[in-house]
Amino acid sequence: MSALAWRAASLAVVAALIALWGEIAALKLISPVFLPAPGRVWAALQHGLLRADLGEKLIGTVSHMLGGWAAASIAGVALGALIGSSRTARDYIAPTLEFLRPLPASAVIPVAIALFGLTPEMALGVIAFGSIWPVLLAAIHGFAAIEPRLVEVERVLGLTRWQRIAKISLPSATPDILAGLRLGLTVSLILAVVCEMIAGLDGLGQWVLLAARAYKSADIFAGVVLLGAIGVVANAAISVVESRMLRWRSTSLS
Amino acid sequence: MTPAPLIAFRSVDLAFGDHLVLGKLSFEIGRGEIVCVVGPSGCGKTTALRVAAGLIAPTRGEVAFAGAPVRAPRRDVAIVFQDYSKALLPWRTAAGNVSLALEAMGTPRGRRRERIDALLKRVGLFAFADKYPSQMSGGMQQRLQIARCLAQEPAALMMDEPFGALDAMTRQSLQDEMLEIARATKATIFFVTHDLEEAIYLGDRVVGLMPHPGRIGIELSVDLPRPRDQVTTRESPEFLRLRHKLYDFIHASEKGGRP
Amino acid sequence: MQRALALPAALVALAEIGARAHGPSDSIAPPSAVVSALLEALADGSLAGATRDTLVSAFGGLAIGAGLGLALGVMLGSLRPLDRLLEPTIELMRPIPSVAVIPIALVALGFGYRLEIAIVAFACVWPLLLLTRAAVRGVEPRLIEVARALRLSPLQRTAKIVAPAALPRIFVALRLAAGISLVVAVTVEIAVNPQGLGYGVMTAGQALRPDMMLAYVVWIGIVGFAFNAALVLAQRRLFGKAAGVEAAR
Repeated sequence: MSALAWRAASLAVVAALIALWGEIAALKLISPVFLPAPGRVWAALQHGLLRADLGEKLIGTVSHMLGGWAAASIAGVALGALIGSSRTARDYIAPTLEFLRPLPASAVIPVAIALFGLTPEMALGVIAFGSIWPVLLAAIHGFAAIEPRLVEVERVLGLTRWQRIAKISLPSATPDILAGLRLGLTVSLILAVVCEMIAGLDGLGQWVLLAARAYKSADIFAGVVLLGAIGVVANAAISVVESRMLRWRSTSLS
Repeated sequence: MTPAPLIAFRSVDLAFGDHLVLGKLSFEIGRGEIVCVVGPSGCGKTTALRVAAGLIAPTRGEVAFAGAPVRAPRRDVAIVFQDYSKALLPWRTAAGNVSLALEAMGTPRGRRRERIDALLKRVGLFAFADKYPSQMSGGMQQRLQIARCLAQEPAALMMDEPFGALDAMTRQSLQDEMLEIARATKATIFFVTHDLEEAIYLGDRVVGLMPHPGRIGIELSVDLPRPRDQVTTRESPEFLRLRHKLYDFIHASEKGGRP
Repeated sequence: MQRALALPAALVALAEIGARAHGPSDSIAPPSAVVSALLEALADGSLAGATRDTLVSAFGGLAIGAGLGLALGVMLGSLRPLDRLLEPTIELMRPIPSVAVIPIALVALGFGYRLEIAIVAFACVWPLLLLTRAAVRGVEPRLIEVARALRLSPLQRTAKIVAPAALPRIFVALRLAAGISLVVAVTVEIAVNPQGLGYGVMTAGQALRPDMMLAYVVWIGIVGFAFNAALVLAQRRLFGKAAGVEAAR
């Protein structure tokens, strides 16, 4: 079978599974209170986007996610470069970071609420704090793991400190940094949703939780579908950036 | 010996902890000379090259370059590393890798393209300017590294077993290309190898080191006519005589005794 | 080692001085007060109960999710057509953030262990599925040929050749999922579920007990660290150093 035929067949599987879902809902094998029919979810999605504030919630979640992630990424790469390129800094700081890493980022939300209250700035801070770890640790590793031979090339060519960072260290750490950015984006979406759930920020997290309290299952599913869509789009966007920036990794011999 | 040596080892000692790698090493390389250094593994030949290039500081003694002591790497001394795949920037194309040296030299942006093209042509990679190292064979990658080193307009080329990882055919053609480059640029070459025939084929002089600590065991002048030829040079009686002498020396020094 | 401890020691000392200088507060507490709150919670059994609740959910969800992910991963890894057919389905499900499933599970299951276990399980399926699939697919082809030459049945082949060859990488996935299980369990407790360590942090915060709140946070960190360390140790014991190196990447 050709790649195209496989693609078509695999999409048919998706369609079949949705049809199966519709059949289960139609036969009321699972109560509609828990499992709405696909048609009802579609209607809820349309209604929410066109006549209610689901669109604003979507924008809210996306901006929380991107805001926190952008702050975390900039800070993470900068700190990672500083720590990763100095052996002394690594010896002092890396063990503490490794110890803090398994700590669930969501555990700092109550602390942040106690310190700063339920403000949007607090939420942004928490999201940034949580998603800095994957970026920071990946950047430290990337900057520390530079090929020793390239360090000698730098010395022989007499590159300045700035040239070393821009021309050698940063590109050499790029694959690690991109992997960290991808993970950080996932974490920031999760934390954005959690912050919206418990701090009452405007966003899809709040929307799905309110829908759950009102037992509006179609609205819940509509929110979850949008959250899934954010995840798919974010992942795809990173993949595009990755494949463009890491084109040199293709190992095909010409 | 040439009147004004470009590179001079002056009783260089190098110790890593208690282990003496080089002991009172003294020898000179004249301007435009090709000196090949051979010796059994562990004799310190690569270390000697790294000291001369300024990558390692000697424990005692000094290496002088054009009369001044070497304290750090210098841009007019280029190093061709054996592990070309590690010494190239995998994220830059062939042109980009050559450009790195020009950027370090401060060559104005507008003049780089022309220089890059000329250098890639010289090593036969002009058609591959836009390829990444991962898309090239080992021989092409090593040619690319040589092009980057030539971009430094070096007074001396330090070559650390540059062809050791290549297959026999590629190695021979790179040897001839290197000799042609040396002829055209009049560069001084410090060439480390473990291949005795390669040393004789390329060198004006062959220096054999003995291990524990690394020191000079033999020095041979190679009076073979240039240009050299892979078939006739290697068959000439003088080549065979030098080869015999060098093999005897290596054999003896591997046993630990003086020849 | 000394260098590793310098930074935490400095931070703790700074926090102590800062919090004391600040005076009594509803939002911050000096480390000494946090330690005494931790001892208090350990002594009255509240911390032990909360830890048990969280770990029951984390392990329960891990067992279900990892088991499901493992089975799917082996299937998809060894049956290429099935893998190709299900690819878009998986690619559409996987990016759904685990916490988004909370309201669905909440409506269907209500508060309690089952809610938390369901969400942890959802989060743990993916690393197992993806890494097992890759591990099974990455089994040395020569070994598969050996299995063919020995005329092993598909079941024998899976049990005798594929599983042992893929096991080190699968354990790496299990370690990853174990870390995720604890994080997700605590997150669900903080977000909605009134039990366990996460809820402990929330209630202490709402009761204006910063010392107790921070004691819970520190304890969660200790549990997470111990959990991870135990798994790293088990991995080294079972598969040697090589697997540990791969896991660190």
